[in-house]
Amino acid sequence: MNHIALKMLMGDTGKYIGIVMGLTFASLIMTQQPAIFLGIMSRTYSFIADVGLPDIWVMDSKVQFVDDIKPLQDTELYRVRGISGVEWAMPMYKGLLKARLTDGTFQTCNVVGLDDATLIGGPPMMLEGKLDDLRRSDSVIVDIDGARDKLGKPSPIPGGKAIPLKIGDNLELNDRRAIVVGIAKVTRTFQSQPVIYTTYSRAKSYAPKERKLLSFVLVKAKKGQDLAELTRSIREKTGLAAYTQTEFITLTYEYFMHNTGIPINFGISVLLGFIVGAAIAGQTFYNFTLENLRQFGVLKAMGTSNWTLLRMILLQAVLVGSIGYGLGVGLTALFGFAMRHTILAFKFPWQLLLFSGAGVSLICIFAAIISILKVIRLEPAIVFKG
Amino acid sequence: MTNIAVRCQNVVKVYDTGGQKVTALNHINLEIAEGKLMMLVGPSGCGKTTLISVIAGILDQDEGICELFGENLLTMRSKDKLNFRAKNIGFVFQAFNLLPSLNAAENVSVPLIINGMKRIEAERKAITLLEQVGLGERWQSLPSQLSGGQQQRVAIARALVHNPRLIVCDEPTSALDHETGRNVMELLKAVAMQKDRTLVIVTHDTRIFDFADRIAEMDDGHIVKVKESNSKATNP
Amino acid sequence: MQIKYTLPLLAVAGFLFATYTAINSNNPTPIAEAITEPASAPFKAFIAGAGIIEAQSRNIAIGTPLPGIVKAIAVKVGDQVKADAPLFYLDDLDTLATLAIKRADLTKAKADVTIAKATFNDAKSLSDLAEAVTDRRAISAEELLKRRNAMLITKARLESALALVQQAEANLADTETTLSRLIVRAPVEGEVLQVNIRPGEFAPTGFLNTPLLLLGDLNQLHVRVDIDENDAWRFDKNSKAIAFLRGNRSFKVDLSLAYVEPYVVPKKSLTGDSNERVDTRVLQALYRFDRKQLPIYVGQQMDVFIEARDYSTNKDSENSQNDAKGPSS
Repeated sequence: MNHIALKMLMGDTGKYIGIVMGLTFASLIMTQQPAIFLGIMSRTYSFIADVGLPDIWVMDSKVQFVDDIKPLQDTELYRVRGISGVEWAMPMYKGLLKARLTDGTFQTCNVVGLDDATLIGGPPMMLEGKLDDLRRSDSVIVDIDGARDKLGKPSPIPGGKAIPLKIGDNLELNDRRAIVVGIAKVTRTFQSQPVIYTTYSRAKSYAPKERKLLSFVLVKAKKGQDLAELTRSIREKTGLAAYTQTEFITLTYEYFMHNTGIPINFGISVLLGFIVGAAIAGQTFYNFTLENLRQFGVLKAMGTSNWTLLRMILLQAVLVGSIGYGLGVGLTALFGFAMRHTILAFKFPWQLLLFSGAGVSLICIFAAIISILKVIRLEPAIVFKG
Repeated sequence: MTNIAVRCQNVVKVYDTGGQKVTALNHINLEIAEGKLMMLVGPSGCGKTTLISVIAGILDQDEGICELFGENLLTMRSKDKLNFRAKNIGFVFQAFNLLPSLNAAENVSVPLIINGMKRIEAERKAITLLEQVGLGERWQSLPSQLSGGQQQRVAIARALVHNPRLIVCDEPTSALDHETGRNVMELLKAVAMQKDRTLVIVTHDTRIFDFADRIAEMDDGHIVKVKESNSKATNP
Repeated sequence: MQIKYTLPLLAVAGFLFATYTAINSNNPTPIAEAITEPASAPFKAFIAGAGIIEAQSRNIAIGTPLPGIVKAIAVKVGDQVKADAPLFYLDDLDTLATLAIKRADLTKAKADVTIAKATFNDAKSLSDLAEAVTDRRAISAEELLKRRNAMLITKARLESALALVQQAEANLADTETTLSRLIVRAPVEGEVLQVNIRPGEFAPTGFLNTPLLLLGDLNQLHVRVDIDENDAWRFDKNSKAIAFLRGNRSFKVDLSLAYVEPYVVPKKSLTGDSNERVDTRVLQALYRFDRKQLPIYVGQQMDVFIEARDYSTNKDSENSQNDAKGPSS
């Protein structure tokens, strides 16, 4: 009977493609929109994720998310270092500073100051130069996107592409000279500002004069140390906030979830995609069943049980569902692949595959259920009516 | 003494269409002997389609008893009823009702598959049946590629393939021209009529009355008269 | 019927590609490793602080007693100097001139004494002569008185001239002292750490941000450790301490306490940045260590860990109470 069910489904190529396309569309929109959403949301915490070495981030207790800098006194670093269970603790400066470019324009940059000796918290991947080069005087490392675009030198041809910043080029940060000694690859951040890495003490000299400049204390726990216990003891002993890397990511993520319109906007478009996809796919599938009702009636009259018919419809639904799903996620992945070098945010975790799979399944189950009800209620006697 | 294939006693069927009750079958009593060709004739709306639906077990009557080969379908468990129907009844429809996306052999094999036969074996058997109805060469054709008469011949092959004891035909010739209709009836009679196989044909195509063993005339839910073929009328 | 196979195949391909993308996108970004492994405490419970290396004698910022132009510098950076060895010379031309004047003054004063002495002798001999005349008629009383008085007057003049000589001698000594103060000498034996002045430059007196010359005894180095006032209560004089060299944690040295400065001071720019603007106060502890164990220079920073009592274990009972109360903190 399965063979018959498949033949019935694929017999009318036009309708078959229609159903599959509807489901493809639904699956595409249910995968692609969340992927963009996740991409944008992951950019909110990409800085934290990039700094992979420390286990724990210590900061002012009122910090709400990663870009919400409430600096600490430098001595807090040593207080954190003095807590048992801490393998090491390093200072980090993070702040927005204005860079003056060679053509005189200003560009706000994210300046990151790393511990002078260890340079912990550096960029994940160096494209040119070495991280060590930061030890040279006035040296900074610039991220590739910033170097190519926002920090680039203006093109000699008006309207042309900017000339990327190269190693050896000069910048001015708060009237102080900075020399590019390296180009790094970093994950794009939410604000997509150029990222400039330098040492902690140099960052302090670039930064405007403030009493406190220590943004974060990066902590590595001793081997075998329970992180939750350590964060608790840091909190108790210093009165600062201490988060594990994942907690800090969650904190930042939650802040953006609750304080920006992004989740609602994307939620709505995912929901719309779901509804439209469900409507199209459900409608075409139901129509398909309706048009084949006579055939189901013939089968029923000839002694096919409801159970068998149900299995046939389920098989048809599962088949179009899987095909639509496969095509949809494939197109999404293709979309992501095509957009990988652009500014577009795109993140495709495996959970998303499950999510859209569940969505498509829901649509198929819904469509199959109304079709099945129709077929089960069907009086086989209709076959005698001309 | 021939066995009785179908026995209907006081069968009543009332349709409830939008609050209005229509009595389609009004105390029908009918017996059909095994191995005979019985025609049900009458004007449209007289209840003949309802009667064969009840006889074939695809419609439950409201009152009365309808026995098929001594079995009361109404009191059977639905699963047994389905099995019984799948084994013992073959259908030929006015609109042929072939599955449009299956080829001729596949269409013919459907009853066998419903009865649980393997697909390849069923199709092999289907092709032999198609050869019997003269369509052995065309087994790969889709219904849409066949003429009306050929389609009906495929339908007949389908009705016969599982060797049922009762074949129910609903206006088998009314969609066909005279010549083709007669050919179909001849084929039906030649291939289907066997000693232990009963045919019930609903028709109002007078041109084919002469193929019948008995003819039951119906009107307004009653059987008006039953006559032996070649004008020997008896009371029902 | 091509579609029968194409669509499912496409779908399978799509799903596989999506899975591949998903797996790939879950690859974590590579982690930038530390350039050098940071120092980590060898103790279970400890106080961490920044330490700065200084000489045992502390670093002596040499000042000058007199302002003036530097004439010559007697030492180079790194020279070992004995106590009292001259370090640099201030311009002394002016003082030398004064010295010559003072010397001349002394000579003149001495000459004046000779004159006064001669005059006195003359008057004395005349007076003695008159006194020796026994016949009072031979000399008038007036003459006698006159001669006697002349003798007394010249005697007084002689004494005055002698006093002037003393004064001139004192003046000379004063100028000589000034001259010697124009030579700045090492107060203790030690090493010249820094020379911030060059011949021809003006050396002012008083406290200077940049000392003219930095002197220290490097035979024994101290590391001055800042302990945050918040941690000061945990500090125990008898506990062990270890210092790590910044930049390479394989260089480390055991410390032994030299002394603790009992006065808690505002935190100074121990991290070396002149812009450091921190308003906390720190307890400073000074530790000795064996200089030979480390390639280290005065003024270098170290990461210091001082063992402390593990209060967290003592607080376990408290903690468990807290836990029982739930995450109230």
